[in-house]
Amino acid sequence: MNKKPKIGIFGLTSCAGDQLAILNCEDELITIADAFDILDWEMAKTNNDKVTELDIAFVEGVVAQTRDLEALQAIRKRSKLLVAIGTCAVWGGVAAMKNQIPREILKKEVYGEEINVVDAVEALPVRSFVKTDILLPGCPIEKEQFLQIAASLLHGDLPELLNFSVCSECKMRENPCLVVEKGEVCCGALTVSGCNARCPSHNIPCGGCHGPIEEVHYDANYTMFEQRGITKEEIQNKMANFATPAWMGQKLISEIK
Amino acid sequence: MKILKLPKANFNKFLLGLNNYGEVHIPKKKSEETYVFAPMEDPSEVALEYLRTVIPPKKYFFKPKEALFKHSDGKNFIEHIEDVNKKLILFGLHPCDIHGLKILDIVFGTGYIDKYYFARRKNTLIIGLSCMPDEKCFCRSMGTDATEDGFDLFLSELKNSYLVTVGSSQGDDITNDMKDLLTEITRKDTNEYLKIRNERKKRFTLQLDISDLPYILELQRESEVWEDLGKKCLCCGSCSMVCPTCSCFNIYDKLSLDTKQTERVRQWDSCLFKDYAVVAGGHNFRANRADRVRNRYYHKQHGFVTQFGKPSCTGCGRCIQYCPTQIHVVEVFNKVRGED
Repeated sequence: MNKKPKIGIFGLTSCAGDQLAILNCEDELITIADAFDILDWEMAKTNNDKVTELDIAFVEGVVAQTRDLEALQAIRKRSKLLVAIGTCAVWGGVAAMKNQIPREILKKEVYGEEINVVDAVEALPVRSFVKTDILLPGCPIEKEQFLQIAASLLHGDLPELLNFSVCSECKMRENPCLVVEKGEVCCGALTVSGCNARCPSHNIPCGGCHGPIEEVHYDANYTMFEQRGITKEEIQNKMANFATPAWMGQKLISEIK
Repeated sequence: MKILKLPKANFNKFLLGLNNYGEVHIPKKKSEETYVFAPMEDPSEVALEYLRTVIPPKKYFFKPKEALFKHSDGKNFIEHIEDVNKKLILFGLHPCDIHGLKILDIVFGTGYIDKYYFARRKNTLIIGLSCMPDEKCFCRSMGTDATEDGFDLFLSELKNSYLVTVGSSQGDDITNDMKDLLTEITRKDTNEYLKIRNERKKRFTLQLDISDLPYILELQRESEVWEDLGKKCLCCGSCSMVCPTCSCFNIYDKLSLDTKQTERVRQWDSCLFKDYAVVAGGHNFRANRADRVRNRYYHKQHGFVTQFGKPSCTGCGRCIQYCPTQIHVVEVFNKVRGED
C-alpha cells in the first residue's frame, strides 16, 4: 500500500478487551499512528470520521443486539478488508456461552418478567453475518499477533497465522502435561495456539480462550477425557465455553427448549 | 577406545569441572514425571534417575523457533545464527538420544548442509549416561540401546563409580585435565559392568519387531489400522514436538511496522497439522487425519529406511508418554502386522 491505509477499529457487544490490547501496545502506538491513518476509533479518540471508505476495519465483539448487526453491516460496506479481532468476533466467545438456551428464557431469568427493554438476540460471531478477511482469535488477542497482522497488511501482504494446537507450543516450553500427568480437562489439543501456552505454563489447564483449531477432532477429545472418568457434560462445560456456536453447529450441544 | 573410572565421590567435582569447557546443561526434574535439559546452576540439581526429557537434545541445534536472517530495506541481508559462539556441554544423554542426534546429522547434513544446525552441533560436547529402561523403552529393538560413537565421553553407572568411555579427542582432553578425579578400571569393575549390562537386557519389556517392517507397511497402506488411528489421533502435534528425529519446519517472514526490518523465521512444524501439505492453489495432499497419521508412521519406519537404510525411530518412548489419547507406537505396528 503506497498511501497510509485508512483504518477503523470498532467494538460490537464485548468487553472492549481486544481494543484495550491494541492500546496496550504502548511501545508501538506511535508507530501504528504514524503508519496508519486511524479515521474511526471511538474507544481511543474524538472527532471520528464515520463515512470515509476504509482500507481495513478491525472489529471486536459479537452481534448480540439488533443494533450490532446494523453497525457491522455498515462497517463491512465501507471497508475493503475486515479483520475480526478477538474470540467473540471469531467464535462467539463468552457472550454466546449459553446460546443453547433461548434469549427469551435468559432475559426472564436475568431481568425478571417485568423488564422488557433489553434488545438481546442470540449472540453470534461477526463471521456469521458478513465476510471476514482475516480472523484473529484470542481472549483477549495477543499483542504480538495483532502487530504481525498490522505489519503484514502494511506490506500489502496477508498475515501467516498459526493454525496448530496449544499442545505443540506447550511441548516446546516443556511443561508437564496436565492431561497425561494430572488427568485434568485441558483444552490445549483443540485450541489454536498463539498464546505460547500461557495458562499451562502456569500450571493452569488451557480454557480454550483462543477458540478451536481449523479441524477439531471432537470425538477424540471426548474420548481422551471419558477414558479418564470424566463425564461428557463436564467435558463440554469446560471445552465449549468460548465457541459454543461451533459446538452447536456440530450438533454436540443441542438447544434447550 | 579408552575407558577410565570416575568414583561417585568425585562426581560433583567432575560436573563442576565441566564448567571450564562451556555452559553445562543437565537433566533436571520439573515435576513428578517431567524432566528437561536445562543449564546447571549447581551439581545437586542433576536428575541422574531421569529416563526421558520432554524435548530431546535436538532443541539445542534445531531450535523451536529462530530467525535465520534479517534484512532492512529489502537488501543488506544479515545472516543470524543464534548461539554460534557458545560452547555447550550436554551432560546425561542416554544412548537413544545420542542416536537421535546421529539421525538428525544425516537429515541436516545430506544434500543441503544446514549450517544453523551444524554451527551449534560442532560447538557442543556430548557426555552420555547409561540408563535402566522402563515399560516405554524399546530402544533395544531399534538398535539404539548402546552406542560406540556420537559422544565425547560416556558414563556407565556402576554401584560406586562410573566407567568413563572416551569418544573423542576433546573428551580425551577433559579426562587428561581431570586425571586426579579418575582411576584405572579393574577386573572387578568389568565384572560389575557385565552384571549390570545383563540385568539391563532383561529389564526391556517392550519390543518392536522391525525385521521386515518396511515391506509389511508397503503391503498395508490401505489397512484399516490407519483409519482407526485417525479416529483416535487429535493431530495435536505433541508426538512430533517430543520426537528426537522429527525435524520438519515452517518458514515465514516476520515483518515490522516500520516496513524496513524483516526477519525470516524458522519454526517447528508437524506433518500432523492440517495445513502441512497444503500447496499453492489450496490443494491439500493429506487433508484426512488418517492420511496424516499414517504418513508420520511411514516416514519413521518406511521412507527413512528406504532412503538411509535405517528407521528414524530411536525407541525413546516419548511419543508413548506424551500422547494425550494414549496412542502407543508399538501397539500400532503390532496391529499392522496382525499380531495384536
